[in-house]
Amino acid sequence: MAALDRTDEATTTVQSRPRIPSGDNSVWADASPLLHAACQDLQEGDLIHGDNFNLFAAMSALEIMDPKMDSGMASTYYSLDEAIENGAAPVPISTDKTTDVRCIIDIMDHLLACEATWHKGHSLAQTVYSCLYLLQPERTSSHALLHSYCQVIRATCKAVLSVVSDSRTHEEEDLFIMAYGLPLSRDGNERCTAMLNAVEETICRQLRACKASSSKRRVSEDIEPLQNNPDLEEGYCKALLCRLRFRKHFYHLLMSMKRPQGAGLELAREHIASCISEIDHIRKSADFLRANAPEMSEQNITTTASGCQPIGFDASLNSRLSAPTPPRSIKIFCWEKALEYFVKLLHDLDIICSYSLNPSLEAALLFVVKFQKSQPDLVSRAHLQLLLVQNGKLFGRYPMFSMISRAAGLPEVAENHDIQKNEFMVQLEQMVINLLKIICTNAAWQRRKLGKMLQDWRVTFVQLELAFKKEFGNTSNNENISFKIYQHILVWVEEQTYWIAFRFLIVGFELELYSVHDYCMVYWYIYIVLINLAEKKHLRMAMSSGAGKKKSKKKRDSLKDAGVNYQISAPVKFLQSQIYLAEGLAMMLAALRNEGRIVPPQSPFSTEHEIFIQQFELLLKACLPDGISYLTYKESTANANFSTLVMCDYFKEAQKIAKELKSSFPNDPDMIAELKRIEQVAERNNIALNVICRLGTPDPSVKISFTLCHHPFFATAIVKRS
Amino acid sequence: METSIKDDTEIEKVEFDDSEIEYVSYGGEHHLPLIMNLVDEELSEPYSIFTYRYFVYLWPQLSFLAFHKGKCVGTVVCKMGEHRNTFRGYIAMLVVIKPYRGRGIATELVTRSIKVMMESGCEEVTLEAEVTNKGALALYGRLGFIRSKRLFHYYLNGVDAFRLKLLFPRPELHAPLGSSDTYTSHMHSDSLIEG
Repeated sequence: MAALDRTDEATTTVQSRPRIPSGDNSVWADASPLLHAACQDLQEGDLIHGDNFNLFAAMSALEIMDPKMDSGMASTYYSLDEAIENGAAPVPISTDKTTDVRCIIDIMDHLLACEATWHKGHSLAQTVYSCLYLLQPERTSSHALLHSYCQVIRATCKAVLSVVSDSRTHEEEDLFIMAYGLPLSRDGNERCTAMLNAVEETICRQLRACKASSSKRRVSEDIEPLQNNPDLEEGYCKALLCRLRFRKHFYHLLMSMKRPQGAGLELAREHIASCISEIDHIRKSADFLRANAPEMSEQNITTTASGCQPIGFDASLNSRLSAPTPPRSIKIFCWEKALEYFVKLLHDLDIICSYSLNPSLEAALLFVVKFQKSQPDLVSRAHLQLLLVQNGKLFGRYPMFSMISRAAGLPEVAENHDIQKNEFMVQLEQMVINLLKIICTNAAWQRRKLGKMLQDWRVTFVQLELAFKKEFGNTSNNENISFKIYQHILVWVEEQTYWIAFRFLIVGFELELYSVHDYCMVYWYIYIVLINLAEKKHLRMAMSSGAGKKKSKKKRDSLKDAGVNYQISAPVKFLQSQIYLAEGLAMMLAALRNEGRIVPPQSPFSTEHEIFIQQFELLLKACLPDGISYLTYKESTANANFSTLVMCDYFKEAQKIAKELKSSFPNDPDMIAELKRIEQVAERNNIALNVICRLGTPDPSVKISFTLCHHPFFATAIVKRS
Repeated sequence: METSIKDDTEIEKVEFDDSEIEYVSYGGEHHLPLIMNLVDEELSEPYSIFTYRYFVYLWPQLSFLAFHKGKCVGTVVCKMGEHRNTFRGYIAMLVVIKPYRGRGIATELVTRSIKVMMESGCEEVTLEAEVTNKGALALYGRLGFIRSKRLFHYYLNGVDAFRLKLLFPRPELHAPLGSSDTYTSHMHSDSLIEG
């Protein structure tokens, strides 16, 4: 049917079921005669379509009853009701209590595997909610154990979902938050945990009772056992308890982390520790469960500890709830892998909870960068992001402008200055918030956003600079506080922009975006960006030490002070070691190419020039730095050769600085580790360089390759004779 | 969209001479089932008949098929059009069946399409490929494509994709070396190092 323009031919067949009422300019009409007439003229392959029929529309078309495309195709059951009528999810699962408990443990284990699979980026409907028991919450109410477990699962899913959708970390992982049509927790938090506690309490008593009776002591209270077989009572009680307790602590952990301003982080850490210890108990219960699994069952199910097929799951029922796209193939994690996932998640959350909430922007940025090194998954990244930025403040506590002015090395008086109401300052605050959020996203998304952000930072810098000039003209040496604020913030914005540019370039290594043949230009650009970063950082630090000097002049020896401005600080020296390393690699790669030892592929369609433009398009557009082009790259690398390269000692310098610097960071084990890596890469590259030089003329049996196994973005050359 | 030319060494290769492979441009409805069969068999994503027709009817000149003794062994399906103010070619599907891989058939197919795109005024060509598809990535790398983005969980099977891009030379970009805008920061860190 189609809504045609108002015509006299409006027919009545559709009007009997007017789901969408006719509008002022349209009315429902039966288009069948039109289509029928058109059929006569259609040749094979012809298609009647509107002007807006594009690739997306074509791709969205589904072929009904093709299992690769039609997610609404019924496989086992047509509906949940039909599945339940057919006994797919009985309550209780078995009238035999032992079997019932055994089956519930399998359901719990499979749900955990489903939950991990969901967290890793599959749809909720086809993972956790493939459990039929979750779909009709009232159905399980007669079964306290199953009911309380289903309840906490729903509440947990809801909590995780809200964290991920509140943060913007999920943009590229949008499957995660699709939950339409699914019953998420409707009960309050108290009800969900109260019921869980009551069930836990009962099983605790049952465990105590069975221990007492086995040691021939008298049981004070008359307690009905968990199940029928006294020999298995202890094992099943324990297996259930650790599973229930894990859920309880995991739920409390999520609630504690949600508290504003990081107020619940300490409590969250306690729940993390409990979760980890319960996971250990869950693991240990596997032997018992496996030993008591029914012999008849095929023991090759990997999603449960017992190896038995769990009852009450059907992923196909829900697949029609997913978006109108072809069904995604989902392989549910095996039980062991699911436990590993949760242990990693808990460790990652623990790192977040143990952060000191230091009121420093620089510290926060470095913390996130360090956190990202362990490749945390979506859920922990979302938590981190929500902790970092709350109500537009750092950790919900510190106003962004005061964080910026502190980072720019301004005295405290600047933090409440009216200048923060300036539109460009407001814009800058927003950009810092965005930056904090973006560096919490997955590397693929992060790189795209960082690249786009460069332009904004550059534009804001220019706007701030103009505002500054407008207000103060060409006067210098102004003691006015707003003069100083502008001056400091401008330098800081430039430094930050180069920091973003540097991140943008190095994340490309993590994503495997660079081919070895592009390494030369990539290291060359990294070297250029690092020089600028080091200059701005040095300038900013010199300026702020100047500011500090005035404040503490009385206390300090003025002679000592005189030297401060000229000394290179440790963070800048650290950048210098990286500058040497990047320059050394760029020149070595250029020499290898210039002397024909590495031959790049010759594209029939484009040249190195186009590759350069594409690789650095966003940096070039944002003029980072000004005046850089393919020609500058070519000019500085065209003459690189091995005879002069050895004299330059880039790698030796990098190694020397890294070695010396270690004493400057005595309490920073991560920095020490990074310096060691730099030292190592520099040393190995220096050796490779000397070996290549000694070989003299290019030898076809010698293969030179590059590896990133010693450092995430500084490659090491490997020379091998085949 | 995707490419299937992973080099699988376990598959028994067919003996043939390169000259026996015949390349033809898309010639009409009779070619459609051949293309659909190849793509259905070799690629992971499901495509409806609308998708195929959308491509081959609008851009028949960009689709090619490779035949060996009358049997269709490979195909390429493409489009081109305006995209954010650039005229851009797009390689939607590239398939060579397993026994015929590793002999340059895919390169020949895709090269033919790219040539037509270039002659039609495209400024660039893009496509997506699975990050695990080393064969395809190497092929496109040799043709001058760069990996411009990584697309997280792009395919229905959960695998990430690379967005690959090829930029055609623009005459104004190839100014002779030694122009005036040179970069002078070679004395770079001296000011810092001297300290």
